[in-house]
Amino acid sequence: MNKEQFLKQLNDSLKKLSLEERQDILQDYEEYFAIGMEQGKTDQEISTSLGNPKQISRELLATYHLGQVEQSTSAGNVMRAVWAVIGLGFFNLVIVLGPFIALIGVVIAGWASAIAFILAPVFALLNLMVSSFQLFDLFFALALCGIGIFMAMGMFVATRALTKGFIRYLKFNASLVKGGLKK
Amino acid sequence: MNVQFKKGVLELCVLVLLDKQDRYGYELVQKISDQIEISEGSVYPLLRRLTKEEYFTTYLQESTEGPPRKYYKLTDKGRDYLQELLTEWNEFSKGVNQLIEEGVSQ
Repeated sequence: MNKEQFLKQLNDSLKKLSLEERQDILQDYEEYFAIGMEQGKTDQEISTSLGNPKQISRELLATYHLGQVEQSTSAGNVMRAVWAVIGLGFFNLVIVLGPFIALIGVVIAGWASAIAFILAPVFALLNLMVSSFQLFDLFFALALCGIGIFMAMGMFVATRALTKGFIRYLKFNASLVKGGLKK
Repeated sequence: MNVQFKKGVLELCVLVLLDKQDRYGYELVQKISDQIEISEGSVYPLLRRLTKEEYFTTYLQESTEGPPRKYYKLTDKGRDYLQELLTEWNEFSKGVNQLIEEGVSQ
């Protein structure tokens, strides 16, 4: 691979980054080629010693997405960060995707039951229309509704805490894959 | 040697090299690859990450031959981090060496 091919491949796989950031990165590698060639190396030699541009871009993208997710924890940003960290190595497929799916399962289940409980009076009223009135049903539904509201409040806090915790786990994981002397 | 293992050590190497003087990217990469076999391109992502984490700052300086070079300068935060890593590294390598000694002598 010559210098142009190397830089083009790197540029192509960094499309997600801002133009400014991408130029900054490419400039680093151009400087590297320029100095290497001054030292009498060919650009083929230099690109071989640099390694695969795809792998380089994976590391850059993982850092980028983790930075994004710290600025705003939207669902999209979390997803992108998860994929980027997984992209660092197959090892991560199990270590990151497993807990991620489990967490999503817990969050969805929690919200679903909270919402179902809150809606219990509605079901009780619907029940009234088709069958005979039972005071017990109505009281029971109202109690469930109250529990549901508390659950929803709890889930709201829990969802935020879980998201935060998971992002920390992602960062830890990314630094682990990058070599992880860092705790 | 294991690639992931090397990458962790790389961070320490970069910080150590910048402790005494500012250096530019090419110089850093060559210094390291003289001693350890690495894929040289992976140093730049590391440099970017450590810059973002404010362990060092960068500045451009003209060179007599060729384009201006981007120099890396260790910050106080970076210096603290280096000390932390050095302590961890020393404990780690002492432990591993101890195990090797015991293992080989038997």
